[in-house]
Amino acid sequence: MASAADATSDEELVTRFPGFPVDFDSAAHYRGRLTRRLLVNRCDACGIWHQPPKPVCPACWSSAVEARRVSGAGTVHLVVFLHQGPPATGVDYATPYPVVTVELDEQPGLRLTSTIVGSRNDAIVIGRRVTLDWIERDGTPLPVFRLVDQQPRSTDTAGDAGAAR
Amino acid sequence: MISARNPMKDKVAIAGAATTGFTPHNSGRSQASFVAEASIRVLHECGLTAADVDGICGSTPSAASVQKMLGIPDVTWFANPSIPFVNHLAAAASAVHSGLCETVLVYHGAYRLPWNTASSLRDPFRRRSTMGLGLGGPGPETIAGAVGYTAWASRYMHEHGVPKEHFGLVAINDRTNAAQNPAAAMREPITMDDYLTARMIRWPLCLFDMDVPVDGADAFVVTTAERARDLPHPPVLVHAAALGMIDLNEEDQTPGLGRHGQHVTVEALKAKSDFWIDDIDVYFPYDGFTIITLNWFENAGFCGPGEAGAFIEEHWDAASNRILINGRIPVNPHGGSLSEGATQGSGHVREAVHQLQGLAGSRQVPHARRALVTAGGFFFNAQGVTLRRD
Ligand SMILES: [Zn+2]
Repeated sequence: MASAADATSDEELVTRFPGFPVDFDSAAHYRGRLTRRLLVNRCDACGIWHQPPKPVCPACWSSAVEARRVSGAGTVHLVVFLHQGPPATGVDYATPYPVVTVELDEQPGLRLTSTIVGSRNDAIVIGRRVTLDWIERDGTPLPVFRLVDQQPRSTDTAGDAGAAR
Repeated sequence: MISARNPMKDKVAIAGAATTGFTPHNSGRSQASFVAEASIRVLHECGLTAADVDGICGSTPSAASVQKMLGIPDVTWFANPSIPFVNHLAAAASAVHSGLCETVLVYHGAYRLPWNTASSLRDPFRRRSTMGLGLGGPGPETIAGAVGYTAWASRYMHEHGVPKEHFGLVAINDRTNAAQNPAAAMREPITMDDYLTARMIRWPLCLFDMDVPVDGADAFVVTTAERARDLPHPPVLVHAAALGMIDLNEEDQTPGLGRHGQHVTVEALKAKSDFWIDDIDVYFPYDGFTIITLNWFENAGFCGPGEAGAFIEEHWDAASNRILINGRIPVNPHGGSLSEGATQGSGHVREAVHQLQGLAGSRQVPHARRALVTAGGFFFNAQGVTLRRD
């Protein structure tokens, strides 16, 4: 499907994502971000997804890998709250900044790391269900997550220590 | 696939090890100057000259820079491996064993860099020397690099329901040990209260969970066991080494705490080595982050998953305020990365060598003959080496 983003030159793509690993293998993913489509590589031969983008399918070595749209729905797998970190527009570490790795529903072990918006930090725990959302940073879309359930899944929260966030 | 082949076993030796000592402040010196100091010291101690060296191995500065800096006339092999430091030792030992060279100067310079200390960012020489390294990155929404260990620490606490005190014991053990090490950067003891109230850096890990950025260097002479026997210090034999890695080795894609580079390292070392944890006199689990050390205890086989903290409590020597496994085996007696300084494993190997040579001073483990070093973390940097006195 052709779109304005697909016409974005390599030169402009690199300019829009300073510091990101934009190259031949990941360009489709970053072009997708420009139109708020979250694209992840999937193998046309065997159907396995992989992340981050690689030039061949690690499972079957086919080079027929395509950046395909994922729903962005998933489950929080890892949580960090940054009390300090790299400077970024709109990020104030005075409130510890959440960084989460989310296991996407498309495939067990397929994960994407970003932040969570719209929630208090004490609600962000491993096991929470999330959905995809987008914010803008310095004029470029950034995929982020938003909590969906009111309560964590009871089987997946044992032992989470919530102190000192 | 994990092979038990190990034709290099006990054929290559570490003939000597030396350090500059480490400072947690910007020293006003270059990284090269520390590498030069440690290298000259170890060559002197081994009774060698520049002309005896025919191999050079280290990360920064490059082998070519070190050769010209020290006027080493001819080398037939060199390498610039990435950290942690078992990589350098394994590369040098392989080169000696294969005959690419005979005597390797192996070095590691630890240096405070702009990506991990704010004061280094303000130092124009340090800023210039690492342009593009970790600066101008993609922003905070990533767990690549150091943040990855913090992220998996959250998972470890979630899966096993363990308290932060378990992490704190690792930090306290290191600090107690560092008090006996004149080379260490941080020698003031800490209490559990100090640990629990320390500044949070990235929840769930605080300042004392993270290694101390330092200036300083270690250097080693690696040569044939035969040649080492003619040099002044007792040879320390490289018994088995492994660099373990799995395919899903990105920080956020690695399958889980039950399967990562440490597991491969342990399986390979156990296959290649004639001895394991029941036969060692001193243990060096990497401690760049406390979570790494807890995982090494579990994966090396001292205890089961999630049990490292309880294991440490059980083997805690209250009198000396540190770990003594079975009342006998100290853990990182030099203070490790958390207290000697962030040496990326060179400090662990250096202390292992000194312990096995009987040169560890007030830290000496009586009659130490075998050591295990398990360096590095989970993803693309888990490594290990078993060392024994000749
Ligand atoms: Zn495939």
